[in-house]
Amino acid sequence: MKVPLSWLREFCPTDLDAEDLAERLNVAGVHVEKILRPWAGLSGVIVARVKGKRPHPKSEKLTLATLETGNGEAYIAAGVANWEPGDLVPYAPPGSRVPVLDVPLGVKRMGGEESQGMICSPHELGISADHGGILILPTDLAPGADVAVALGLDDVVLDVEVEPNRPDLMSVLGVAREASAATGTKLVALDPVLDEIAETAPSAATVEVVDLQRCPRYLARVVRGAGDASSPLRVQARLTAAGMRPVSAVVDATNYVMLELGQPMHPFDLDQLDGNAIVVRRASQGERLETLDGVERVLDAEDLVIADRSVAVGIAGVMGSARAEVSPATTDVLLESAYFERKGILFTARRLHLSTEASMRFERGADPEGVGLAADRAISLMTEWAGGAPLLGSLEVGEAPPRARVSARPSRVSKYLGLTIGAGDIRQAFDRLGISTEEVHDDEVVVEAPGYRPDLRIEEDVVEEVARLLGYDSLPSTIPRIPQAGGVAPTYAFRRRVRDALVRAGLRETLSLPFVSTDEVHLAGDDPQHAVRLLNPVEGDRPYLRTSLLPGLLRALQVNQTHRVESAALYEVGHVFALGADGVRETERAAAAMMGPVSSGHPGDRHPADFFDGSGALGATLEVLGVRVWRLGEPGGWPFHPGRSAVIRIGDDEAGVIGELHPRAAEHLELPGRVTAFELDAETVSRHVSQDISVEDVPRFPPAVRDLAFVVDETVPAAEVAAAIRGAGTLVYAAELFDVFSGSPLPTGKKNLAYTVEFRTDRTLTNEEVDEAVAAIAASVRERVAGEFRAG
Amino acid sequence: MDAANARRTLEDEERRGLAEIGSAADLTTLEAAETSLFGRKSAFQEVQRSLGSLGDDERREIGRRTNEVRDGLRRAIAARREALEADRERQLLDADRVDVTLPGRRPRPGSLHPLTIVEYEIVEIFTSMGYRVVEGPEVETEYYNFDALNIPPEHPARRVSDSIYLDVAGHADLLLRTETSAMQIRTMEKQRPPVYVIAPGRVYRNEDVTAKNMPVFHQVEGLAVDEGITFADLKGTLEAFYQALLGDRRVRFTPSFFPFVEPGLSAGALCFVCDGTGCPTCGFEGWFEMMGAGMVHPNVLRGVGYDPERYTGFAFGGGYDRLAMARFNIPDIRMLWEGDVRFLGRFEAAR
Repeated sequence: MKVPLSWLREFCPTDLDAEDLAERLNVAGVHVEKILRPWAGLSGVIVARVKGKRPHPKSEKLTLATLETGNGEAYIAAGVANWEPGDLVPYAPPGSRVPVLDVPLGVKRMGGEESQGMICSPHELGISADHGGILILPTDLAPGADVAVALGLDDVVLDVEVEPNRPDLMSVLGVAREASAATGTKLVALDPVLDEIAETAPSAATVEVVDLQRCPRYLARVVRGAGDASSPLRVQARLTAAGMRPVSAVVDATNYVMLELGQPMHPFDLDQLDGNAIVVRRASQGERLETLDGVERVLDAEDLVIADRSVAVGIAGVMGSARAEVSPATTDVLLESAYFERKGILFTARRLHLSTEASMRFERGADPEGVGLAADRAISLMTEWAGGAPLLGSLEVGEAPPRARVSARPSRVSKYLGLTIGAGDIRQAFDRLGISTEEVHDDEVVVEAPGYRPDLRIEEDVVEEVARLLGYDSLPSTIPRIPQAGGVAPTYAFRRRVRDALVRAGLRETLSLPFVSTDEVHLAGDDPQHAVRLLNPVEGDRPYLRTSLLPGLLRALQVNQTHRVESAALYEVGHVFALGADGVRETERAAAAMMGPVSSGHPGDRHPADFFDGSGALGATLEVLGVRVWRLGEPGGWPFHPGRSAVIRIGDDEAGVIGELHPRAAEHLELPGRVTAFELDAETVSRHVSQDISVEDVPRFPPAVRDLAFVVDETVPAAEVAAAIRGAGTLVYAAELFDVFSGSPLPTGKKNLAYTVEFRTDRTLTNEEVDEAVAAIAASVRERVAGEFRAG
Repeated sequence: MDAANARRTLEDEERRGLAEIGSAADLTTLEAAETSLFGRKSAFQEVQRSLGSLGDDERREIGRRTNEVRDGLRRAIAARREALEADRERQLLDADRVDVTLPGRRPRPGSLHPLTIVEYEIVEIFTSMGYRVVEGPEVETEYYNFDALNIPPEHPARRVSDSIYLDVAGHADLLLRTETSAMQIRTMEKQRPPVYVIAPGRVYRNEDVTAKNMPVFHQVEGLAVDEGITFADLKGTLEAFYQALLGDRRVRFTPSFFPFVEPGLSAGALCFVCDGTGCPTCGFEGWFEMMGAGMVHPNVLRGVGYDPERYTGFAFGGGYDRLAMARFNIPDIRMLWEGDVRFLGRFEAAR
C-alpha cells in the first residue's frame, strides 16, 4: 500500500518526517518497506500565464509562446498547442528539473527560435500518464508560484507491506490509525457533509440481493446531474503516487475513497441499468461477460455477479463490465458500496486470474461497517468535483455482522509475555488504537473488535496487540532452562560422518538443483516411468525430481569444463526421489564424480584420473566410515563403462555403483577424458558401519615378510587372488599387491601378480613355519583361482 | 734384523706412513696404505718379528718405539679416515641436494560446502543450548506443510504460483515442503512436551533462478514447547543465538505475521554490507531479514493434542543461504549451486 504522507497527515496530523514515522511504524509491526519520493526530480517549475501565441516561422509542428512568469517574460517553443493566451501553464525555466528528464532544462534553439525551457504536460510533471497536451492549471493560481507546492507535488510516499491478516492497512486511514497509536497523535474523524435533494434514492432505483451469504451487505447511493469533469490536480497527483490512474471525476472519487478508507466501490450509469435495478446473484453456469479490460469471461455458478433486470453488469468485487459503465455522457450515477464475503471473491479472482485493487481488498476482508461512510465520502467528493446532487438516503440490503468480543485474561497475557500486565495495560493499548474495551473483572478484559480488524479473534491476538504497542524492544529477555542434553538425530550424525569421510578422501562438496530432465533421468540409468513428476516445474525442461545425484554432479563437471577448469573431484549428499507404493519414496544418497588430471602439485607427479582414483576415494571413504568388508561386483550398467564399473557390495547388500562413464555418455555430455563417479545409498551403508574400535589384536611381534608371485588367467580378478592368499591360513596377516605384469615372456592370456605377504602370530615365527604357510598359500591359490606359484 | 736396522726401519716407516696417510685422497688408498704399513709382509711386522732376537735392553727400547710409531700411525689413519668419511658423506649429501622450494606433494584437498559450514555453526550453537536436531522428508503433504500449521486453503502460499506440487497419481496433496515448519508438527506428533528441537534442511518455492533467488534454499526451524514458555524466552533465545553467530552485530525484533504463530516477529540484523545505511543487499532498508518467529499458535498446539492452557511454546525459522552469502561475500546465489571448484576451494580453510 502506497500512502502519500500528506494524505496520512489529514487523518493523523503528526509532525514527524517520513523516516521517523516509518521507524515508529516498523517498531509497531507496520512494515514500511520503502520511502518513495516520486517528485524528487521536480524543482523550479513555476506557474506562468500565456501572453502571446504565434506560429513558428519555420516549423509546422511547433508553436511559439510568450509567457508571463511573474518576474518578467519568457519565450518557448512547444510541440502541442492546446493552450491559449490567458491560460495558466506549468513553466519549466532553464535550470529547473522535471521527473521525466535526467538533466536540468536549458535554453535551446528550436528551428532557429530560442526556447527558454519548456511548458509541461501532466506526464512530464508526474501527475498522471497523460501527455496528450500541456497541463492547463486552475485559474486561482498566480504566475510565479511554485507548481510543486501549489499541486502537492512535493509529497513523500510510504510504501507499506500489507500482511494478509491486516486488510485494514490497505488504506490511508488504516495506516493513519497505526500512526496515531504509534505516535500518540489523535486521529481526525471524517464527517462528510452531503447536500441531499428531496428525491429519494429508493424512488430512483432498486437493489435486490439474492445471495446474502456471499453479499451480506449492499448499499447504493444515487447522484443526479453529474457532469463530465476531471478531478482536481492534487487528487490526480495523489492517485498517481498511490499507484492508480486518474480517469474522471466520478471514477476518481470512488478510487480515491477506496485508497483512503479501504472500501472498494463501483459507479454505474443509472440510465444503463435495465429497470434501474441492481440484482446481486450467482452467475449462471457458462454466463458470459466482457470485463472492463476487454476480456470476455466465462463464469460459473460459484461466481457472484452484479446484474440489472436482464444481464450481469459486473463481477462482484472484482471488475465491472463495459455495460452500465460510467462515461462522459453519464449524468446519473448509482454508486455501489458493498461488503462481499472474502473467500468467494478470492476463488473467483483466482479462477479468472483477475486480481484488481477491489478484489485484493475484498479477498483479504473489507470492513462491513464501513460501507456507509465510504459511500457518503465518495458521493460528497463526486458531487464536489463533477457536480450533481445526491438523492436522499440510500438503498440498503443486509447489515454488518455483530462485532467479535474477544476476552483476554491479564494473567494469561502476563504468562505469555513473561511480564506482568494488568487489565489497565491492556485497555490502554487498545485505547491508543481507538478500539473499545470493557473490564469485566480483575482478570478479564473484553475487546470489541471493529469491522476493519478481522484479525482480532482470540486471546493470543490480544497478546500480540499489547506486545507490539509496548514495543518488542521493551519486553524482557530470558532463556528457558532446557531439561535435556542437546544432540542430533542418528541420520544427521551419520551424514556428518559421510561428509567428513568424503572430504578426507579429497572431494569437494557441492549442491545441485534437484530438478532433472527426461534425458537426465535416462542418464542416471533410470526409467522416467518411475520418476516423480512435478505438477508445476520451475524449469520447464526439468519436470522430474532427481532419481540420482549423478546428473547434478555431471552438470557441475560441465560447469567446470566450461570455465576451463580441467580437474574437479566433487561430491554431494542429498535426497533422491522415486515413485513408491506410498506415493513417493525419498532416500538419501552420497555421490562423487571426478575428471581431469590428478596431481599432487609436485612436478611430474600427475596422472589422468581413471577408475582407480574413484575406487581409491570410495575405499578411503568406506574405511573412514568403519565399513570393514566391502567388494566390487559385476559391471554397473548404464551410464557406466561395461569394463570399468562395478556394483558396490557391502555384505549381502547392494550399496551403490562405481565406474567410469561409458564413452558415449561422456561424449554426450561433452566431457573429455575419463570421468569416474560413484553413488552410495546412505541408509544401506549406515547399516554396515561399525564404530567399535579395539586395539586387542594389534601385533606385538615383528612379522615375517615374503614376496610371492602367481601366474593366473587375465580374467581372474586380483581381489580373488588376494582372497585366496588371505584364506590360506591363520598366519597370513596382510597381503599387498605390488606388481601386475602381463606380456612376454608370459603366455598370452596370463598375468603375473606379485604380493608382499606379512605373516604374524603372537610370537616370532621360525623359517620352517613360514615355509609351510607359503606352501599353503600356493595350494590355496592353485585350488581357488588355478594360479601357478612362481616365486617366493 | 739388528737393532740399528730396526731403528732405521721404524723411522723410515713412520715417515713413509705419515706421508702416505696424509696424501691418501680416498678411503681405498688409505686402506692400501694401512695394509702396506701393518700387513703381514710389512716392514713393521718384520721389526716385530725381529724383537725376539734382540737383547733385553734393545728389545725394550725397540719394542717401545715400535708401539709409539704404530700408535701414532694408527691415530693418523683414524683421523684421516674420519676426514675422508666426512668428505664422502658431504659429497653424497651434496649430490642428493634438492630445491626445497619445489611444490610439495599434497593429498587431494577436500572441502565442505559453505552452506554446510554455516549449518554446522548453527547446529552447534543450538545443540550446546540443549536442542536436539530432528529431520524429515522434503516431500510433504499439504496437511503437514499447511493445514496443521493453521495455513488456510485459500492462503496465497498454497497457490501453484508459490509452491511446487508433485504430479503423483492418487496423491494430489504432495508438494515439496515450503518451509521446515512441517517438522514442528511431525515432532509434536511423536513426543510429549518438553520439546526443544531444531530442524535444518532444504525447502522449495516456485521461484525462478536469478542472482538473488533460487527455487531451493535452506532453513533451520526451531521449536520449544514446555510449561511456562514465554515470549521473553523466545527473545532471549534468539538474542543468545545471534550473539553466538554474529557477535555484537545489532539484531532487532519487529512484529510480524505468520499464521502458525501469535504473536509473531521478524528478526533482522543490521545489514552486513552497508551497516544500516541502505544498499541493494538489504533492499535499502538497512536491516537484513534473518528469520520469522513467534509464539506457537494455540490452533497448532491443539491440532497435535497439546493443551494450550497448560503448554506454551515458541517457534522460529530462518534461511541461511543469504546468511552464508553475507558471511563469505558471495555476490550471486547461483554460485552456491554451480560446483565450480575455484569457488568451492575457497572453503578448505573453514573448520
